Amino acid sequence: MENQNSVFYHVKNNVGVIEFDQPDSKVNLLSSAALKQLEVFLEEIRSNSMLKAVVFVSKKQDVFIAGADIKEIEGIKVPQDGELKSRAGQQILDKIEDLRIPAIAVIDGVALGGGCELALACHYRVATFNEKIKMGLPEVNLGIIPGFGGTYRLPKLVGLTQGLKMILTGKLISSREAFKVGLVDRIFPQKNLDILLDQFVDEVSAKGYHRKPRKEKTIQEFLLERTSLGRGIIFDQARKTVLKTTKGFYPAPLKAIEVIKSTYGLNRVTALSREAKAFSELVATDVSKNLIQLFYLTEKYRKLIVPGTESIAPLQIKKCAVLGAGIMGGGIAQLLSSRKIWVRLKDVHYDAIAKGLKAASLIYQKAVKARKIKEFESSVGMARITSTLDYSGFQDADMVIEAVVENIDVKKNIFKELSAAVSSKAILCTNTSALSVTEMAKEAKDPSRVIGLHFFNPVERMPLIEIIKTDLTSPETIASALQCTKRLGKTPIIVKDSCGFLVNRILLGYVNESGRILEEGNRVEYVDRVMTDFGMPMGPFALSDEVGLDVGFKVLQILEKGLGERFKPVGIFEKVYQKKTFGKKTGKGFYIHGKKRIPNPEIYGMITKSALPDPQRSEYLKRMVYTMINEAARCLQEGIVDNAETVDVGMIMGTGFPAFRGGLLRYTDFVGPENIVNDLLRLKEKFNAERFLPCDYLNNLSRANKKFYQDPAYNE
Amino acid sequence: MERIAIVEGIRTPFCKISTLFDRVSAQELGRIAVRELIERTSLDVGVVDEVIFGNVAQPADAANISRVIALLAGIPITTPAFTVHRNCASGIEAVTTASLKILSGEAQCIIAGGTESMSNIPFLLTKDLQDMIFKWGRAKTIVEKAQIALSFKLKFLTPRVGLHLGLTDPVCGLNMGQTGEVLAKEFGITRKEQDQFALLSHQRAVAAKKVLREEIVPVIPAPKYQAAVESDNGPRENQTMEALAKLKPIFEKQTGTVTAGNSSQVTDGAAALLVMSEKKARELNLEPLGFVRAFAVAGVEPQRMGIGPAHAIPKVLRKAGLTLKQIQAIEINEAFAAQVLACLRALDSQEFAKEFGYEGIIGNVNADILNVNGGSIALGHPVGATGARLILTMLKHLKRANLNLGLVSLCIGGGQGAAVILER
Repeated sequence: MENQNSVFYHVKNNVGVIEFDQPDSKVNLLSSAALKQLEVFLEEIRSNSMLKAVVFVSKKQDVFIAGADIKEIEGIKVPQDGELKSRAGQQILDKIEDLRIPAIAVIDGVALGGGCELALACHYRVATFNEKIKMGLPEVNLGIIPGFGGTYRLPKLVGLTQGLKMILTGKLISSREAFKVGLVDRIFPQKNLDILLDQFVDEVSAKGYHRKPRKEKTIQEFLLERTSLGRGIIFDQARKTVLKTTKGFYPAPLKAIEVIKSTYGLNRVTALSREAKAFSELVATDVSKNLIQLFYLTEKYRKLIVPGTESIAPLQIKKCAVLGAGIMGGGIAQLLSSRKIWVRLKDVHYDAIAKGLKAASLIYQKAVKARKIKEFESSVGMARITSTLDYSGFQDADMVIEAVVENIDVKKNIFKELSAAVSSKAILCTNTSALSVTEMAKEAKDPSRVIGLHFFNPVERMPLIEIIKTDLTSPETIASALQCTKRLGKTPIIVKDSCGFLVNRILLGYVNESGRILEEGNRVEYVDRVMTDFGMPMGPFALSDEVGLDVGFKVLQILEKGLGERFKPVGIFEKVYQKKTFGKKTGKGFYIHGKKRIPNPEIYGMITKSALPDPQRSEYLKRMVYTMINEAARCLQEGIVDNAETVDVGMIMGTGFPAFRGGLLRYTDFVGPENIVNDLLRLKEKFNAERFLPCDYLNNLSRANKKFYQDPAYNE
Repeated sequence: MERIAIVEGIRTPFCKISTLFDRVSAQELGRIAVRELIERTSLDVGVVDEVIFGNVAQPADAANISRVIALLAGIPITTPAFTVHRNCASGIEAVTTASLKILSGEAQCIIAGGTESMSNIPFLLTKDLQDMIFKWGRAKTIVEKAQIALSFKLKFLTPRVGLHLGLTDPVCGLNMGQTGEVLAKEFGITRKEQDQFALLSHQRAVAAKKVLREEIVPVIPAPKYQAAVESDNGPRENQTMEALAKLKPIFEKQTGTVTAGNSSQVTDGAAALLVMSEKKARELNLEPLGFVRAFAVAGVEPQRMGIGPAHAIPKVLRKAGLTLKQIQAIEINEAFAAQVLACLRALDSQEFAKEFGYEGIIGNVNADILNVNGGSIALGHPVGATGARLILTMLKHLKRANLNLGLVSLCIGGGQGAAVILER
């Protein structure tokens, strides 16, 4: 395969045509091999004095070049290798830039990373109105920076502000946006691309390839872009924004700022050599490797197919009824409606429905404010949600999602009632976070159509959905739920029906442990800080406030009942729960949520122990994180999920477990299961607590000196 | 001939101008009614052949509002929609147009209705200011611009109120309320009679609050989504003659009798009806609320527009081969108490019958069967929606009271009257 060409060249009407067409692939990648083939043709073009221009086109539908080959990047183990790869690519792309005839990239599909950098090395870029076009430099998402001249050429072309924005966030833009910021010179309708491209070639070859330099549109923009003081402000702002969003855990964007700051306006040779150097410093790091693994995982799970359901045509969901119009129900309704699914929202009184509609509307309004959607899209979306107190309008629903209070009797009753209200083809889902889906299914007329669809709060932001299958769930139902999850733009994991499923079970053991640490005489914000410093988006108490202790406490009780003593809510949670200070929704929980969030002093009145003189940071971290690891291993042991990958996807997408650590179990492998087992045993002794006892799965790994990801399946 | 079935209907609550539905557009009100109609009937939207809505103010941001409503409510894009306008009878016009389409075999199932957001009728710029802005855009030099700026006068800023323009007849020059005064004088209707009529409307509407809920879908209005509006907010629980007597005439300050209290309220609301050929309804196993037996529209002098029903009613009765005596329930829209009372007098008058050849058809209207659940004086009159509301209210009433024949009629600004006979 490797020897097969993926770059082709011919001359037509005195125009050189470079075609990218990787064999046996839906996309083109800018692999080392492809670059080498390209180099040969570039030499040929350089020596052909008859040519008036050269165009770079793709033979793939909706793809120009999807980027460099990630497998190659993954394979770089030492910085020097990275520098060499980067230099090699840079030098070949330089040859495009150095051509004496106009070089034109014709973009009719995604042009990402290396693909975008190739286009940047051309003198002109034309695109089509193809909606599938995405352009950008998403390298930071893999823990690296652009290494083929992107940091040098993009800011030069589109200006510092826009260039930094694209490189630091990895944000991709459409062809219209690309045209607006000057990344492409023209956009043509796909239909007449050939004719219009010919005209464009004639036009630029006649007047030479010098484009007018970029012009700033406003005085403010001019001052920022064109004065060293202004540029200083831009870099400063960029740095602040990066630190705010990454909290300093991700070195790539900071490195990108450093490179661009030190090369902006300098000559190509210096700029590119600095870029290659910086690239090399990132490419072999653990963070980058972890992010690349995560990238594979995300791709895999986004396209997840459950074995045995491949040939099943999933039910197309046109209308979905949602029961329970709280914040969660409202969020689910919003999500469904935004994906063109009609929603019938039911609750027992209109006040609850009003809250749900308001929650949905707020999500839309936020998106409008962030300019992600237009105002009309918000009203069209809201128009897809209707409400009811009875079961009217349920008859033609393809799916029902129940999101009422976490009470098994209430839920069982709903499933009984639902069977009479819906058609026999409808799929019945519960959004329970811990209760038995099987018990609910047994109440339904057709238990095979019942499945768990566990959304995470806040629905619009959390990318995970746990799909809970019971022994009674039919493959059709699983396939349809999976299809629906994908349509909602969420990443699914398939979890067996068992108390607390996967994510909450792992998470709540950790939250409970944090409560014990608090009770030992620690400060709320200190314990939270331990976890945010580890990379969690928020600490356990902030999380509790966010979700609401009313929910958390109930789930803990359910887990205690189903899984045992270790989930018994610790005293402080019980006390705060009794006080009804549930968190954000009541304005007060572990924190007081005013204009600024401050720790709630009342908490310390509920703790008998006096403050500790010397809190033990690393010990706390171990107690909290290792509790999660032990529980995750138990889940694998019990077959709740199939493999370590599912745990890691679940924890990263469902709880915001730090992506740069690769996931909970990848982190475990990094620390070494043996070390963790030893620590757990020590903790068990120290606190005389069974909860720390390492489970068999973990013990076995440790004894065999194996890792979670040492399963041969992960080393394909 | 095939009968036209009205299978089901639903409406939003009617809310006084600038109150609960202040920020809800006419298209949104219409959308709510149509979508709920679909939800409650579990209608397969694929069977709908056309959507026809009546609307008077024709919002600038929803050209052909019927199409906007249809698409927002989930009617397939392949299903056409158009908007009708017969001023105050636009909601009836939607139903009669639907009936004609079905009768001619053009359609079998139509969603018809009416919608109006009087809160959202815009204020207009003066033509002077509009011209100025236009010229400014074309001016090339600073001198030209300066000249234009100097032509500015403060009075250019006084807006023209769209609502008032719409309620003023450009042919006779009278405001709708003034046409009420014309009839009050002509028929000698006193202020007290009008106020009594208004009081009864409120009393009946208040008493009917519960039964009216059967035709109302509760609405939780955007953008605040604070609480559900479950009923009309026009009817006053404690309306009294004293309170009504205190109000000053608004259209003829010194000599008039028409007040805000004995006129219909300016209101927002929408109603939607599912209209089908009887055959189609049976095919889909739907039990119709009732049927359209006959309809008619008559023209009158614009300055006497309120007398329209007195001509439309005999016209429709004649078409149906019925007399007024046979009708078991009547709704005459209460644009103004004076106007309804004038119609009643005319219908009961021998001379009137003789003059126009209505002998044997018209006669006395029994007050006990007229507007039994209150009328627009209490419930409000969202002009484009009222016609559809009257049909809906009548059909639900016929069903509840187990009656067979009902008649609804409206006066129409511009000088017309419309009437429809419904049967079960």
